Amino acid sequence: MAEILAVRGVQKTFGDVRAVDGVSFTVRRGTITGLLGRNGAGKTTTIRMITGIFLPDAGEIEWLGGKVAGRGYRDHIGYLPEERGLYKQMKLVELLLFLAEIKGCRAAEVKPKIDQWLERFELSDKRDAKVEELSKGNQQKVQLIGTLLHDPDLIILDEPQSGLDPVNMVVVRNLLTDLRNEGKTILLSTHMMGEAEKMADEIVLIHQGKVVLEGKLDEVRTSFGENTLHLEFDGDGAFLRDLPDVVRSTVHANSAELSLNTGADPQRVLEACMPRVKVRKFEVATPSLEQVFIEKVGAETLSHEVTR
Amino acid sequence: MKKMFVVVKREYLQAVRKKVFIIMTILLPFLMTGLMVLPGLIMTKGMGKKRIAVLDATGKLESAFARPNEQEKTDPKQEARKQLSGGGRQGLPAQITVEYSNRSGADLDTVAKPYLERLTRDDEAPDKLEGVFMVPSAALSDTETQLTYYSRSATDLMTQERLARLANKSLQSLRLEERGIQPELLDNLLRDIPVEAVQLSRSGEKKTGGELNFIVAFIFGLLLVLPSFVYGQETMRGIVQEKTDRVVEVLVSSVTPMELLTGKILGIAAVGLTQIFVWLTMIGLVGGYGAATAVVADINLSQFIRPAVFIYFFIFFILAYLTYVCVYAIAGAVCNSEREAQQFIMPIMMLMMMPWFLMMPIVLNPDAPFAVAFSLAPVFGPITMFVRALVTEPPMWHIAASIGISIATIILFFWITAKIFRIGILSYGKRPTLPELWKWIKVA
Repeated sequence: MAEILAVRGVQKTFGDVRAVDGVSFTVRRGTITGLLGRNGAGKTTTIRMITGIFLPDAGEIEWLGGKVAGRGYRDHIGYLPEERGLYKQMKLVELLLFLAEIKGCRAAEVKPKIDQWLERFELSDKRDAKVEELSKGNQQKVQLIGTLLHDPDLIILDEPQSGLDPVNMVVVRNLLTDLRNEGKTILLSTHMMGEAEKMADEIVLIHQGKVVLEGKLDEVRTSFGENTLHLEFDGDGAFLRDLPDVVRSTVHANSAELSLNTGADPQRVLEACMPRVKVRKFEVATPSLEQVFIEKVGAETLSHEVTR
Repeated sequence: MKKMFVVVKREYLQAVRKKVFIIMTILLPFLMTGLMVLPGLIMTKGMGKKRIAVLDATGKLESAFARPNEQEKTDPKQEARKQLSGGGRQGLPAQITVEYSNRSGADLDTVAKPYLERLTRDDEAPDKLEGVFMVPSAALSDTETQLTYYSRSATDLMTQERLARLANKSLQSLRLEERGIQPELLDNLLRDIPVEAVQLSRSGEKKTGGELNFIVAFIFGLLLVLPSFVYGQETMRGIVQEKTDRVVEVLVSSVTPMELLTGKILGIAAVGLTQIFVWLTMIGLVGGYGAATAVVADINLSQFIRPAVFIYFFIFFILAYLTYVCVYAIAGAVCNSEREAQQFIMPIMMLMMMPWFLMMPIVLNPDAPFAVAFSLAPVFGPITMFVRALVTEPPMWHIAASIGISIATIILFFWITAKIFRIGILSYGKRPTLPELWKWIKVA
């Protein structure tokens, strides 16, 4: 599949802080690429360089295989920033028209689309309402329409699910997979590993301004071995951490994820569990993205933070 | 370019359709007129009915107070001019009723008692007096004597002054007659000959009625200054709003900060011009009516409101607005709330308004060195030069130099503003310090 966007060794420094330090990755057409990392890892700065808000200190952005000259390519990007906001005094239709026009669209072409999108998001009756009259959820929908209205080749969403309730989280997730199935390309920045896992085809993991992991989601997970135990149980699972052969563990109230030594036998763990808790699910599989994330950056960060 | 005009269009349409704009545009001229005319109206009409007792111990002033409200007929031209310059009222206003009492030779202190008692009565009392004016018998001969005016408030200066003038005028006539001089004769001999201000232009053309330049300079000066500041403020608020509403990130992912800044400034400038156009049209209409009065007063209004004035007005308004708006835009870009921005801008604004505070000396001495210096200075230039061009005829090179300096200033300001704006609009949190601002400017 063709590359739509390539980021080549971009760097950005603010004062003494190197926010992005030589980040490279590509986004292929028709995929959802998850840009993952902790808060402050450099995701937003990277996105701002892609959207041309910042110019990189070094490195390049390539669009459709060519180096970008000027900022014309930005008209083909739809961007939903993490800091969301709209002109509160404007009427919905006018605002959406404005957002499309600053992307270079012509009013006559956009107007029918506005109605289609409002229909799709069940906002048709709010067409002439002012933005400030809408509920917060509806304002988010309007902003999303603004991002999609000019039919962009690449949709960039920065933490689109932050601050959403579980229902709306599902709504957004379904929308994004729908868009991908319609052939759109999405770059999704998030720190919610669970959500990324449910949507992303590919992931780019950024940590302290650098890419630490990149690739197809399933391949990444497989590369971390296939002997991870996913357990669900009733009872106190605290003992699971101390079992032999358990390299790393995440134990919750009624579930646990255990990474085992290569060559270790999962059956031994099951045996150890039987007398102490009631096992409801026992699965040997690839690690979750969260586990991968912790394995890749967690230990390092922890030791880093301890030494500080 | 195309995107910049999209921004211009949005700014313009959003502002022009606001109720505040419509109300301001239509109402402000009336408000301003009201503010100028009302105090005068209240002074003359609003003081309420007054009943004043005049106790005259000379016994000769009855005619002076008898029909004080009737004015002698004067030349209509003179009258109209007096009306315009706001001076020349004689006699007593109709609200004052005089109760004249001839007490020839009497001792005023004893006579006055019942009158003074009436002065202290309740307001509702039927024969309540608001003032007692006493002319002692010595008034005709003794130069050391004094007239006395009793009232409940010692600050009723206007009534006091009117009464005193009537009494004195009459007393003077009487003294002259005693010495066998006709008062009318002396009046003619001592007549002040009025001065007519004639402005001589370079081409030798003579213009009269120059006093009015004063008023015209103020009105047009205000029309120039007020919108510049109001719309500068509007630009600042718009920028702060975009920051606080977090709209700005979406904007700069689509347009460049330069397109956004230019679009905002031009869009709001267009709003200001629209408003001024409406105001000028209203002035034109009122002026049409005013011209009728002016013709009677033998004043050729067209010499003030000549086409050149409009051309200058347009040029200098644009220059003034663009200069100020840059400063306002910086304030908007570096501050996080409207209040913070207001505090930031206040001292700078006071400084920039200097020519406005110096309007009076500039109008009085438009060719004085300080006025020339101000008109050629950056920032102060547009307003000062416009006022000078209005009341005098500065050399063409002054005007050209002022415009040139202003344009250079604007280019410099705009360049700085663009630099700061680019970084400032995406910076939240602490306001940058001056050294930090300097760093922003230096960043390529």
